[in-house]
Amino acid sequence: MSTIPQSRLRNFSIIAHIDHGKSTLADRLLEATHTVEARLMTSQMLDSMDLEREKGITIKARAVRLDYVAKDGLTYGLNLIDTPGHVDFAYEVSRSLQACDGAILVVDASQGIEAQTLANVHLAMKLGLVIIPVLNKIDLPAADPDAVMSELEDSLAIPREEVILASAKSGIGITEILEALVARIPAPSGPLDAPLRALVFDSHYDTYKGVVNYIRVQEGRLKAGDPILMMGSGVTCVPVELGYFRPQHVPVQELVAGEVGYIATGLKSVRDARVGDTVTSQTSPAAEPLPGYQVALPLVFAGLYPLSGEDYPALREALEKLHLNDASFTFEAESSAALGFGFRCGFLGLLHMEIVQERLEREFNLQLIASAPSCKYQVMLSGGKGELLINNPAQLPSPNHIDEIREPWVSASVVTPSTYIGTIMELSTEKRGIFDGMEYLDEKRVVMRFQIPLAELIVDYFDQLKSRTQGYASLDYTESEYRVAPLVKLDILVNGEPVDALSTIIHRDRAQGSGRNLASKLKELIPRQMFEVPIQAAIGGTVIARETVKAVRKNVLAKCYGGDITRKKKLLEKQKEGKERMKRVGSVEIPQEAFLAVLRTDAD
Amino acid sequence: MTTGAQPAPPRGLYLHVPFCRSLCPYCDFVVVAGAAAFGPRSRMGGYLTAIEREIDLRAKLMDAQFGSLGSANRMPLETLYLGGGTPSLLPTDRLASLIERIRDRFGLTPDAEVTLEANPGVDERGDLAGVAQAGVTRLSVGVQVMDTTALRALGRRHTPDDVVATIAAARAAGFASLSMDLLADLPDLPFDAWAASLDAAIALAPDHLSVYALTLSLGPDEAGDDRLATPAGAVAWRERAAAAQDEERGALELEHLNSRLPAAGYNWYEISNWATAGHESRHNTLYWERASVAAVGPGAHAFDGVTRRWNSANLDAWEGALQQGELPPGGESQIESDAARAAEGLVLALRMSRGVERDAAVREGFSEVLAWGEANGLLAPHPSDASRIQLTLRGRLLSNELFSRIV
Repeated sequence: MSTIPQSRLRNFSIIAHIDHGKSTLADRLLEATHTVEARLMTSQMLDSMDLEREKGITIKARAVRLDYVAKDGLTYGLNLIDTPGHVDFAYEVSRSLQACDGAILVVDASQGIEAQTLANVHLAMKLGLVIIPVLNKIDLPAADPDAVMSELEDSLAIPREEVILASAKSGIGITEILEALVARIPAPSGPLDAPLRALVFDSHYDTYKGVVNYIRVQEGRLKAGDPILMMGSGVTCVPVELGYFRPQHVPVQELVAGEVGYIATGLKSVRDARVGDTVTSQTSPAAEPLPGYQVALPLVFAGLYPLSGEDYPALREALEKLHLNDASFTFEAESSAALGFGFRCGFLGLLHMEIVQERLEREFNLQLIASAPSCKYQVMLSGGKGELLINNPAQLPSPNHIDEIREPWVSASVVTPSTYIGTIMELSTEKRGIFDGMEYLDEKRVVMRFQIPLAELIVDYFDQLKSRTQGYASLDYTESEYRVAPLVKLDILVNGEPVDALSTIIHRDRAQGSGRNLASKLKELIPRQMFEVPIQAAIGGTVIARETVKAVRKNVLAKCYGGDITRKKKLLEKQKEGKERMKRVGSVEIPQEAFLAVLRTDAD
Repeated sequence: MTTGAQPAPPRGLYLHVPFCRSLCPYCDFVVVAGAAAFGPRSRMGGYLTAIEREIDLRAKLMDAQFGSLGSANRMPLETLYLGGGTPSLLPTDRLASLIERIRDRFGLTPDAEVTLEANPGVDERGDLAGVAQAGVTRLSVGVQVMDTTALRALGRRHTPDDVVATIAAARAAGFASLSMDLLADLPDLPFDAWAASLDAAIALAPDHLSVYALTLSLGPDEAGDDRLATPAGAVAWRERAAAAQDEERGALELEHLNSRLPAAGYNWYEISNWATAGHESRHNTLYWERASVAAVGPGAHAFDGVTRRWNSANLDAWEGALQQGELPPGGESQIESDAARAAEGLVLALRMSRGVERDAAVREGFSEVLAWGEANGLLAPHPSDASRIQLTLRGRLLSNELFSRIV
């Protein structure tokens, strides 16, 4: 099938902000090149996960080959490598872009360029990719192509002559885009006669074919049946199948330098064929692997617990299965007095956390509760005892064993209409952010830069940003450095017993407010017990807030005669079931819903 | 408990009289009121014919199951309880013939306790002399509270003066035992007014007092035993009333009973019941001892030691079947396991002051929950028999906390 010569291959990606029309454009390209028959076409073809379609985002990178007969009469093989659009998945974007030689930049003609798009375009430019700028939705009344073109010119030095005006929805500009892909993006240049080197840019797990690696062949040829060597892991195998995407798998006999496709390795563990590894021939291996990727490290950590303790083994199995397709999250067993047995999980960001949780719940039919998200802290132990890395407040030693605590900071950039500058400044300062500077994209829009503690960002910065700017501001961030901060562990004690799931590491100045808030919320949520239950917020041994749940005084069924006995039993059984669902903290019984409610709303 | 339970012949009979002059908004019993209860369109006549048929049919079943009256297995009833509703609305002659019929079909021991519930209203209490004449030995008077405003708020038809007159008439009629039903935790009634009402009741020197914390069921009934739906007006009333109740005040009232009643010569013998010596309700004790009690009338519940059975609460359905000579529709539930039976037995026994024998309860597997109850001050050794264990005052107020750990 790969009868298209290297000179007529084009590998490209689409960079766009959420809702700017990337998936619709991909659909149009698929249709225009007859890649997918019209009757099989579903909207947002490449977003195959329900979650992706619902949230309007792409989570996993995906690839598809389009055969396009260009105006010069020749057939070109266009490999579209779809990329996730959200900041949490920046690392997936960078991997996908490395497999490309060009990128379509889609910008909504009424919205202008957004923070993540800006970051991704910079990344693409750094990798030397050719950028094809497309203004989408130009048929909308609110479209202002002129202003957006100026913005592109000013912020990214993209000449307005290069910009293609399009509407993916109505099919405007699709041919121009396809022609630009052919004309502007260079053909891949790797030598066909060199030893095989192919970069793994993504993978997924298939029950029948094992680990399926998505590869871009840089040099040489890969033939079906040839034994291969994963240069990083040292694992060898004979691929079960190779092919390209349509977007479903189309097996071929050979993939050559410049092509994008897949290898079904038959391997059972993603660890043996990691993303970023280099595939070479086992019989005549290349001397050096390709430069790989930096492994994306989790930034946000939280405990995931099954609502019902008996689902713990099911959760373990689900995490293991999901991990085969998304190696970017981490998990290890932990237990909590309040929540039982669960897993401490690491995520790339809050959205990633939400997605993993939702996939576990939907695809594996689990009901989960997540503890408050945390980040990774460096704890310098006193007496020169060295450094401790912790991602769980429970691991924090007592204050007298600590010299200092360092927390991760990020460099954040916010793109916003200039009317919200004051609002965003205020929000960022509230969140301990430090203003780094600001540039105008055009007369109405600016990029504001901040240094801000990650812990503040993951609590509710993004939600606040969206609500305070009516959704107009967008955010991008990258990790910067660790800084010393006056951080304390805030414990919540119920009847004198700390509730581990509610402990947080928090800035000293925030502790009082947060402690009061948590204590008063718990007071409403903890049912009255047979004794008075004090709820305290404490730092070390110092109580900073206190509430009391009064004792229940009367719980009695007054009448119990003939007919009452049946009814009474129902009532008692109901009370018993309620008690059985409760978690015990010391001698206090707390319904799981109370934890859920506190954990869900602790950002208020 | 290793032996499966066997059905036993009844020791008592409950007869439900569903008629009231008017509906009280807090009441959950099976009741029809207004024109159906009184006057030209009264359903009393049809009811009486049907209840006589049911007495006959149930007795026939007993004959078949346990042998005819007088045989070794079939002892006469020790108790008969006419509850309602307002059984004092029954015409005295029909009441007399009902009791006679029961004596004929089920038997009544010479010292049988025959209780009739009466309301104190002038148009409700009936001819008490005639009632005593008909064979009723014990009158249970629905007093509720001795406070005019509170009575009106509850939708009752009577006044405290009516109560005084009723008790006087009852004493004159010569009932062996007089009981009063009182309520606690009444909406908007201050503690002092409630305590004064209690004193006024005590001053009338009843032999027995039942005091119930007012329980307002707000949600739909989930017992699944086919009770009548609560009218919308009553639901709205209950929502308002529940908001005007006060758990702390209600608890103080129940605690007050514990000091006030013994001082007046009444001993608590069940969570909600106090009596002077020898005046404990024998019929109700049968329930707490899980004894066999037969039942007739719409919505009535029976127990034979194994199965709890109930009649449909729907007067039409109940009466219709009996008109056809058939047993009324209803439902039943059985306790399958010995453990569940033991648990129910323990919960019921612990309601009574005599409590349970500790060793026996431990043998049945309840040592952990008993220890929990003692540790939390809900249970304590019986003051006059250290081998037994009983609810403390705190335990009586919080008994569901304990019982929900037993069932």
